[in-house]
Amino acid sequence: MAGTAQHATERRRFERGPDRLAAGAAVVGLAGLAAGVAVGPNVGWDVFFRSYLLNYCFVLSLALGALFFVMLQHLTRAGWSVALRRVAEFVAGALPWLALLFLPLLIPVLQGRPGVYKWSSPDVVAGDPLLQAKAAWLNPAFFTVRCVVYFVVWSLLAVVFVRDSVRQDATGDVGHTRRLEWWSAPGMLLFALTVTFFSFDALMSLNPHWYSTIFGVYFFSGAVVGFFALLALLVTGVQRAGALTASVTVEHYHDLGKLMFGFVVFWAYIAFSQYMLQWYANLPEETAWYFARQNDPWWRGVSLLLLLGHFVAPFLALISRFPKRRPGLLVPAALWLLAMHWLDLYYLVTPRPLGASYVPAAPLHWTDLALFVGLGGLFLAAVVRPMGRHALLPERDPRLGEALTFENI
Amino acid sequence: MSHAAHTAAAPHAATAPPRPAALLVEFDSPGALLTAAEQVRDAGFRRWDTHSPFPVHGIDQAMGIRRTRLPWIVFVAGVVGCTAGLALQWLTNATSAADAPPGLWTIFQGYNYVISEKPALSLPAFIPVIFELTILFSALATVIGMLAMNNLPRHAHPLLAHPRFRRVTSDRFFLVIDADDPQFDPARTRDFLGQLPAAVAVETVPEDRSPTALPRGVVIAILILVALALLPPLLVARARLSKSTEPRIQIIQDMDNQERFKAQQAGPFADRRASRPTIAGTVARGDLAGDAHLLTGRVGDDWAAAFPPTLEIDLRLLHRGRERFGVYCAPCHGYGGAGDGIVAQRALRLNTEGWVQPTSMLDATVRDRPVGHIFNTITNGIRSMPPYGDQIRPEDRWAIVAYIRALQRSQNARLDDVPPEVRADLR
Repeated sequence: MAGTAQHATERRRFERGPDRLAAGAAVVGLAGLAAGVAVGPNVGWDVFFRSYLLNYCFVLSLALGALFFVMLQHLTRAGWSVALRRVAEFVAGALPWLALLFLPLLIPVLQGRPGVYKWSSPDVVAGDPLLQAKAAWLNPAFFTVRCVVYFVVWSLLAVVFVRDSVRQDATGDVGHTRRLEWWSAPGMLLFALTVTFFSFDALMSLNPHWYSTIFGVYFFSGAVVGFFALLALLVTGVQRAGALTASVTVEHYHDLGKLMFGFVVFWAYIAFSQYMLQWYANLPEETAWYFARQNDPWWRGVSLLLLLGHFVAPFLALISRFPKRRPGLLVPAALWLLAMHWLDLYYLVTPRPLGASYVPAAPLHWTDLALFVGLGGLFLAAVVRPMGRHALLPERDPRLGEALTFENI
Repeated sequence: MSHAAHTAAAPHAATAPPRPAALLVEFDSPGALLTAAEQVRDAGFRRWDTHSPFPVHGIDQAMGIRRTRLPWIVFVAGVVGCTAGLALQWLTNATSAADAPPGLWTIFQGYNYVISEKPALSLPAFIPVIFELTILFSALATVIGMLAMNNLPRHAHPLLAHPRFRRVTSDRFFLVIDADDPQFDPARTRDFLGQLPAAVAVETVPEDRSPTALPRGVVIAILILVALALLPPLLVARARLSKSTEPRIQIIQDMDNQERFKAQQAGPFADRRASRPTIAGTVARGDLAGDAHLLTGRVGDDWAAAFPPTLEIDLRLLHRGRERFGVYCAPCHGYGGAGDGIVAQRALRLNTEGWVQPTSMLDATVRDRPVGHIFNTITNGIRSMPPYGDQIRPEDRWAIVAYIRALQRSQNARLDDVPPEVRADLR
């Protein structure tokens, strides 16, 4: 093939660059966290913790999307994606670090701070028969135990899938691929259960009277949209820095665009499924959630922006083959979808639940920005750092050849 | 018939050499097929095709195949499906003949079902059907369009009878030029194909001489199936046209037969009641007694002299009042309100004992009554007239009152009531 000569000369490893970038991102991140903590007493710690939860769920969902993608490629024995898989593995590899960053969110739960999770406060539960009925599940001790389980499962999966893939670079042993293919099936089951219950615990229980059985899928669909947007950006970044210039072709971008488009539609399908059932049934304990998001002009605006920006606009922009095969158009679309994914989580986390004990002064706070910079910077540092230590694609994966010569029909 | 056609063709087959249906070239690699396809394309052939065990990248360009128009067909079908889904639900549920502009539009009268207090034209509820019809139309257009554009289904092809062609599903690649091609010439085309690089073999594909008529067994099977398929509609038609004393077969119950309890009978609930008492502290929908004027016709302790301010007195309300009056009042009071309805006439003729003749609404006594009083009479009844409060909604009762006022005015009209320009016609 004509490509082999180019493949032989292309750069597949970075040297010092990622370390410098990661150090810079970590410094910016720590500064953002410090700024958030400094503003905390002024805006109130309830607002601080909600901002933290919002931005934490943003970076966590991207890493979870990456773990899903990596396992899916092994589960289906996919060939086309091998050239992209290592970058996704770097993103999933941030999960053990994110487990550490989750710890501050246990503070309001163990404190019993009703402004964040009102079921964590014994006083609130004492006056609320529904919360008493749910107390067997929603109580601080069991919540903590469950979160430990989620993060142990995710960290183990991330470590296993990254470590075996990286080891194969040295040994070239096909056994690594076989092992990961075997692990991907139970891994996927564990992933589905943990992501569903994590979203119930961390996000749905912000409004503990409200429930939606599809909520886990909703969180997952948004997470995957965000991840594909991030992957397109990271791969473009790696190519701009001069690596993988021959291995990753327009064909791979085309597939990333297809996946982005597909999951945008999937997200809308799930969001509408949840909305329509609750709208139709019109039960007070269900509609209260939408009431808080539709009867206030700000949140109505956010809801409509999500409908247009998270579905209609990307649907029309990505439906054609044309933009998917042009990274110059795909990158702005990816940036836009990443912003919309943040807005989606903002829409889930920030609206004040009906009857909540705190009244935010404004729907947006400085802590939202500071903690976005803080957690985003630390997450980026965790993703970029391994780029300087390992090859940027699985050099000796048995299916790499298939990925390099891959063409869309 | 098939037998006759077969025997007629047989002597022809014995004498003339078989006419070629196509020429076939075999290759043993996809690369050779690609090169050959480019040469055949550049030679200007039109009716030809390539066959391979798996999709070969780049074959579209090598054969000079233009991008398919199928996506546009699917797009149009999707738009049609989307529109059909919306129109179907809008026409069947949300249209109203009364509100339609005159003309053809008035034939559209939807069911106007109110489900869960949602408006008749309710987009969120319509979206699932719109979505599914969009998908259904697009999917059918994709499959049918693909088949039509490929001239499928096709039961047989001469190529399939060629022994070499069998390896197309395992390890051989074929290029086939149809004898219908305008440039086709048995000898020259054969030479052209023979000098293609890496051609393993060039062969003639003989014309397909197998019988084209359907085998008799298939014909009989189809006839039997058609006959069987006619049975259910025949049974249905017979049932529609004949009378029977048997109870009808109810496939779908539709809650036609329900348990029914009489007073003092033990009901199905744990406390042996037949219905549930109202939950303490709740009011059933529509039972909230808020507006006394609207619901009772009283203002303070007096009868209301005016219509409730929440009600707009217009032609629409009067039309509604006339229609309700015709349903509930006219049988006794008569269409003019003079107390000469069909029931009253019959009661008089039979000289029924205890019959109280309905009041004429046109008399001064009723004319001078405040509207609230008349409203109260409709609601609660008077003498032998039963109460109608449970059957007629408050707004409709007020509409009837408004119509009665119009009747009273019309039956006691003076010359001043007639517009000056038409007074001359009365003389």
